[in-house]
Amino acid sequence: MATTTNIEQEQSIQRFEVNYRGIFQKTLAYRITKDLVYIAHSQGRTAFSNGRYSDDPQRNGVPCANFAFFSDEHSEEELEAIASAKMDIDRANIVSVLDDTMVKGLEPWGHYGIRPINEKVIPNGILLVISRRTPEDLVRFLDKKPFSYRLAIVPGDASFAGLWYYRNDGTDVKMLGAIAKVAPSIINYDKAKDYVRKTYKTDQKIEAFESGYNSVVVTEVAPSQGTEWPYPKPTLPAWNEFEEGIVVKAVPNQFKIGPRGLARNPDYKRGTSKTQRPIVRFDLCTKCTLCWYECPDECFDPTPDGLYDVNYEYCTGCGRCAEVCPVNECIVMVDELNFSDNKSPWESFRKDPKSYTKDIEEKKGKRRMMPSFVTGKGESTSEVHSSVAFKETTKS
Amino acid sequence: MTTELDENKETHQEEFPNAKLYNNVHKIDLQEFYTSGHRTCQGCESALVMRDFIKASGPRTVVTGATGCMYVANTSYMTTPWVVPWMHTQLGGGGSSAIGMAAGLRALMRKGKIPKEKINVINFSGDLGGGDMGIGGISNALQTDYDLLVIMYDNESAANTDIQATNLTPYGAQTTFSPTGTKERIMHKRWKKNVAAMLAIGHPNCNYVATACATFPPMDYMNKVKKALSIGGPTFIHTLDPCPKGWDFHPRYSGDLGHLAVETGIFPLYEIVRGEVRYTYDASKKKRIPVREYLEKQGRFSHFVDEDYELVQLKVDEMWEDWEIPGVAPIKGFLKVK
Amino acid sequence: MATQTVMKKDGTWESEELLTGTDAVAQAVRLADVDVFSAYPIRPYTGVMDRLAKFIADGKFEAEYIIADGEHSQFEIAKHASSVGARAFAGSSGTGWLFATEALAATATDRLPVLALVGNRALDDPGAFGVEHNDAMLVRDLGWLIVWVSTAQEALDTTLIGYRVAEDPKVRMPCAVAMDGGYLTHSQHMVKIPTKEAVNKFLPPYDLGSRRLHPDNPISIAPQINEDWGMEIRRQNWEAAKRAVGVIRAAYKDFESIFNVSYSNPFFEEFMTEDADTIIVGMGTVTAAAKTAVKQMRKKGEKVGYVKMRWFRPFPSDDLRKVLSKASSVGVIDRDFAHGGPDDAGILFNDIRAAMYKSETRPPMIDFIAGLAGREISIEDVISMYRKTQKAKDEEMDLVTWVRVREKSSSKGKDEK
Repeated sequence: MATTTNIEQEQSIQRFEVNYRGIFQKTLAYRITKDLVYIAHSQGRTAFSNGRYSDDPQRNGVPCANFAFFSDEHSEEELEAIASAKMDIDRANIVSVLDDTMVKGLEPWGHYGIRPINEKVIPNGILLVISRRTPEDLVRFLDKKPFSYRLAIVPGDASFAGLWYYRNDGTDVKMLGAIAKVAPSIINYDKAKDYVRKTYKTDQKIEAFESGYNSVVVTEVAPSQGTEWPYPKPTLPAWNEFEEGIVVKAVPNQFKIGPRGLARNPDYKRGTSKTQRPIVRFDLCTKCTLCWYECPDECFDPTPDGLYDVNYEYCTGCGRCAEVCPVNECIVMVDELNFSDNKSPWESFRKDPKSYTKDIEEKKGKRRMMPSFVTGKGESTSEVHSSVAFKETTKS
Repeated sequence: MTTELDENKETHQEEFPNAKLYNNVHKIDLQEFYTSGHRTCQGCESALVMRDFIKASGPRTVVTGATGCMYVANTSYMTTPWVVPWMHTQLGGGGSSAIGMAAGLRALMRKGKIPKEKINVINFSGDLGGGDMGIGGISNALQTDYDLLVIMYDNESAANTDIQATNLTPYGAQTTFSPTGTKERIMHKRWKKNVAAMLAIGHPNCNYVATACATFPPMDYMNKVKKALSIGGPTFIHTLDPCPKGWDFHPRYSGDLGHLAVETGIFPLYEIVRGEVRYTYDASKKKRIPVREYLEKQGRFSHFVDEDYELVQLKVDEMWEDWEIPGVAPIKGFLKVK
Repeated sequence: MATQTVMKKDGTWESEELLTGTDAVAQAVRLADVDVFSAYPIRPYTGVMDRLAKFIADGKFEAEYIIADGEHSQFEIAKHASSVGARAFAGSSGTGWLFATEALAATATDRLPVLALVGNRALDDPGAFGVEHNDAMLVRDLGWLIVWVSTAQEALDTTLIGYRVAEDPKVRMPCAVAMDGGYLTHSQHMVKIPTKEAVNKFLPPYDLGSRRLHPDNPISIAPQINEDWGMEIRRQNWEAAKRAVGVIRAAYKDFESIFNVSYSNPFFEEFMTEDADTIIVGMGTVTAAAKTAVKQMRKKGEKVGYVKMRWFRPFPSDDLRKVLSKASSVGVIDRDFAHGGPDDAGILFNDIRAAMYKSETRPPMIDFIAGLAGREISIEDVISMYRKTQKAKDEEMDLVTWVRVREKSSSKGKDEK
């Protein structure tokens, strides 16, 4: 973790972080930090970038981070030493986010805890998010800070630009535009625009840059706003406080039918990998077992009535259950930000099947999104006219 | 898919009296011994390969994992998703680690230092570790008389190291070692190494070799694990694991890609029981789907043009129509001459 | 050499036989009731595996015997056998030992007490069968215990002591027993073989405790770490290496009381050093020539002494300082090379010189590169080394001398400077 540096140094350097979801946003994230450095360089500033090494290999969905550092006073060597001779940084002037579901927290590694996305934002710093949400919608998930900072929202969707097939949808330069607007001290609008013109040579790119510049909306977040962060930060034991021989106790051999009936890895939950979560219409379920059978994260808990509860704490939101489910509308992937807790859906259903169904249908809305096979080729959306009628389940 | 669930008539239970094979998904054991909380990608097929082999084997098992995705992703110190005893082994150490554990346990039991019981010994290695670097050690393991199983989970690249080509990467696939470029469209011109058949043909001690796909046909892979563990002696299973990360497709579709690999015939499914080949999906008899439908759903082939698809189709057809043992052994012997 | 009482019929000794160094280790492996050993052929260590295989064939020894497909596999097998609680043995020589390096490193960081025989052999290229210490020394910084033996009896005794130390819960480190290839591995000497009962008194059963890989003790061993853990884990291993010093002393004490065999200082043997003003330090079979040279020179009234290094890791810095600081000049015989290392001197020399830095009085030290690739080191060679070392008291000598190397007399072997 970063060593604290003196005030003069603080004022003379700027730190930028981009948070993204692993492999399918890797190229996008790298482009943003790379472009920032080139632009700052064209302004005669000192700048360089690096990535959080321990994120490699960057699994899809798993939160990763890239950094860029800027200064007018320090040599590149000094900047490297002060800002980033380390695996991770502990504060940033701008924390940017390429997928707004990350505002619910990050857990990039085991024994790391779920950490707030705004953890590194400094006083009066900026949290820059691509999102279609309102500020209130996002702030309710954020950690309460003891100081005020700014939330900047660029209207847009998370771009999963892909790997071998890269979707060049302008999200990269859109972010540059937004940064030029909210942090002119980092990159200057004209220089940035010049750079985009020279580098990408297309009107769409310049339009995207402009749209980012013009559409970004900044709101002040006061110390009172946000939530009391519920997740503790694990402490790291001293060398003589844990067993020699690189030994870790296995997960206990425990299982019983019902929600949370299976013992799971307590120190590394994967829930923060989700962009969408599977929503189950238990009333439509035919108990074919396929969602449970094909879940690569062992998230479905068999229930006494032959249904399969979902443990959202561990679900990574891959969508395999929705894909394999043979019943129309029985399992649908829904935006993770529509949900504020990880409670057992089966228990809510059992308590009151009708209101559970009504509630999730509201959260599902009418819009259905179907990703194309090749990630970078985007997704097709469709509208359902009316939700499938509630089906009285025969008690099993 | 759902229709195939309750059938699966072809388990051949009678040949494996010591194995309790599944013939109905509703009878699959519900407990997990590889459980939630691992750093695998969304939709990771290899994670299912882990989950299912240990479910089929049960808690009286010791496991080693060779360096690779299923090592690095699964166990982030000081946490673990494993319920059973598990240990890391070196990239090329898969076969040897299995020998070591099997020998150690047998010696201790024979000398009465620990109670006699059947403890399953399993190693998993990736295509880089198992198919390339570690193949000598696996070959040696298959020459012993120990009861052990080596599973090679094959995601057709070094997906843990930035997706580099291995000898099991299919022709033409983009990897960081075989990028497409302005001069070369196709950099990777090697055809996939035929590991399972090679090992079956070369090791007279080995009673069971199989290829598998984690979810298709349902229960097929888990039953193959049960057969391998019950037949006695060293055994080997090669699984094809569609990899959303390295193959560049949406994690939702890992299962579908697996089905397509089997149904297009590009990945033959079979088991070789005491030298007898049995197809668990016979792509020579059933109508094969054009391989293009499999390839064009993956970003790693996004640079393919018609002639590339045709070339791969040609090879797949050859595999099923010209090989002496279709889909298994490319040798063309007297049978074909006649 | 260890002083020994004559064989007593008190159940301590089973028999006395003519054995090579590798045979002697095989006897110790049998007596230690090793559970698993993995073999791969390479001269000159391989005799131990030949002998063990015959033991199995004749029913004299019960163990799982595996022929590996290479040294890497050989040591992976031993490592994982050890992890499930089985006492494991392996070994190699020269280039074969290097082929196993990855497994050797992991065995040490996994803290698994595998014992290995290293029949020292020159590294390729060119192919050579003769002794050189660079092979075993390759693992000197990786967390292996390394001990050099110079007689067949010492080989047998030290193999038993090696298991005792390596498996001690305070240590749990792999142990390499090294012996000069072609010399000790092959020459035959009368060796006293202890009884099983006596050995059992000395060597408790191998118990990995809470680290044993077994369904009754479900654990995960060696998960991937990030930058949050590496320093602490290495620090633990550092501590174990330091704890090994006390455990070694205790083991030799017990060995003496059970077998009535004394090795005085476990870490090195002193020969006529008490009043010596010139001391030479060596390791391995050169000891015979060195001691004989000392005796001959003592007859002429020359105050010379010899130190035979035994434990190279952990390195006995404090004890060596005490002995060598009393001398007015010190010579070191390196049966190894370290091209481009500090002052272009050998590995043993630079380790000793580093240890001496702390000493109040630092006598002049010179280094002798000798006996590489199996070349003999004669009594005369050693005497000439003593002469040079004596001179080093009051005149500047070459820091490094290549002994008995063919050379055109004109160039005196001096570097052009």
